[in-house]
Amino acid sequence: MEILQQLTFIERGIVAGLIIGLICPLLGAFLLVRRITIITEALSHITLTGITAGVFISQTMTWLAFINPLYTGLIFSLVGSILIEKLRHAYKSFQELAVPIILSSGIGLSAILIGLSSGSTVEWYSYLFGSLVTVSLSDLYFTMATGFIAFIIIFAFYKEWLSISFDQEFAKTSGIKVNRLNFFFSLLIALVISMSMKVVGILLVGAMVTLPVAASIQIAKSFRQVVILGIIFGEVAMIAGILFSYYFNIATGGMVVVTGVVILLLTSLIKRLGLVSSTVA
Amino acid sequence: MIQVFFQFDFLRYSLYTGLMIGFLAPFLGVFLVVRRLSLIADALSHITLTGIAFSLLLGRFYPLFAGLNPLYMGMAFSVTGALFIERLRNVYKYYKELAIPIILSAGIGIGVVFISLADGFTNDLFHYLFGSVVTITRTDFQMIGVISAVVVVLIVLFYKEWFFLSFDEDQAVISGIPKKALHFIFIVMVALVIAASMRIVGILLVSALMTLPVASAMRWAKSFKQTFLYAVIFGEVSVVLGLVLALHFDIASGGTIVMLNVIILLISLLLTRKRM
Repeated sequence: MEILQQLTFIERGIVAGLIIGLICPLLGAFLLVRRITIITEALSHITLTGITAGVFISQTMTWLAFINPLYTGLIFSLVGSILIEKLRHAYKSFQELAVPIILSSGIGLSAILIGLSSGSTVEWYSYLFGSLVTVSLSDLYFTMATGFIAFIIIFAFYKEWLSISFDQEFAKTSGIKVNRLNFFFSLLIALVISMSMKVVGILLVGAMVTLPVAASIQIAKSFRQVVILGIIFGEVAMIAGILFSYYFNIATGGMVVVTGVVILLLTSLIKRLGLVSSTVA
Repeated sequence: MIQVFFQFDFLRYSLYTGLMIGFLAPFLGVFLVVRRLSLIADALSHITLTGIAFSLLLGRFYPLFAGLNPLYMGMAFSVTGALFIERLRNVYKYYKELAIPIILSAGIGIGVVFISLADGFTNDLFHYLFGSVVTITRTDFQMIGVISAVVVVLIVLFYKEWFFLSFDEDQAVISGIPKKALHFIFIVMVALVIAASMRIVGILLVSALMTLPVASAMRWAKSFKQTFLYAVIFGEVSVVLGLVLALHFDIASGGTIVMLNVIILLISLLLTRKRM
């Protein structure tokens, strides 16, 4: 803990970035095989609603001023994941409608709350697009704590999730409590989004979850390789992105995502040249 | 409350534009939802942001581009993005659904870098993101009018073909309908409508106007035609009311429009719970 307090802001950002680069692709690999990567977009947009609500509440009700917007963001994204499940039942023959509905209502409500809360609109950009400078020590603690919990949840249930992801029916018959695990999974997504938000920005969390595994699946030969390569790509994108954004003074989230896109292009090129023949995608 | 819209020119333009968008967006949205492409609107709107950011960047460094309406660049990018999505679908044969999140996140990421380079993190950007009642100019209005006319003509010309393709693709292809060409025209239309709606509804919220009214309409409608009717009614009501509310409370018009749609959706879900 002493060491953490001595870090400069760029080092704080890099430590947070390393944690994010590890956890995001790990989660992304599961989302990819379950074909629900898009869910992170919906939940990250509803996290924005939570953040704006948190800021609005602490502005208007002074006795609630201690609330950290990160926590309200976390709560909203949890509620959002439950709502998505509900909506899937409401539109039985058009289940894919649930995600755009949640996504757009999340952003819509945020737009109103931003308009209602005082202060300039420009402050919101660091929430939307990420910023290295705004990562405070308590944000770093938050990222470390949530990252740790997420890591434990992933590893405690690794086998069960593998089983559910590839064959939900089989998992059910072999005695895995699918419903309860799915709830934990939603909790996991919510945790990962809230922890990445400060550095990468709300609108770009989905990119960190999707791009590394989209790149790794092109050249990986097994699920394990998808995960490992994904994490490597994620870390490279994070570190390179943070350094570039620091030296060129560009929004951190944007630079991280652009590095991710470059990695994705490179892997597609490798695959096209026939250097590696993937058996997965 | 509505009179004020006729007193000032810029408000009149935004009202008329709103009426056009309130018709076009839900109308195309019905096709999108039925063809299970509702997410494509999100991806295309995010890539429109990249185009606008690029236009801002060019305008900063080359005075030649400074006079160019960012909408044009936004449209060009969103059409290119549509082509990329099709390419990516072929790259990921087993994970076709990956194409949309990839384009969506790449679009916004690259957009952010452009904005940073152009020092564009200002109030203007906020209007692009969440919409505004007051930013519609006469040229915007004219351009959106042209887009609406083109889209309406295309819809009238190809309504039957799209209808056929939406419900039975195999049969439609066998009967000789050029699926690829029609799909392409359709995606270009969606890109155009997104660019047109962007000023009022905002980039992050355009897709909402395409999906939410349709989602509500589907709860009430008994036929495909009724879905169109309800969707357009919900769309128009939400846009007009949303503009009025946004003006009176001084908040982003995109936010009010979308929240009205969410309220309509919630009411629809509640009232039709037993039906489905």
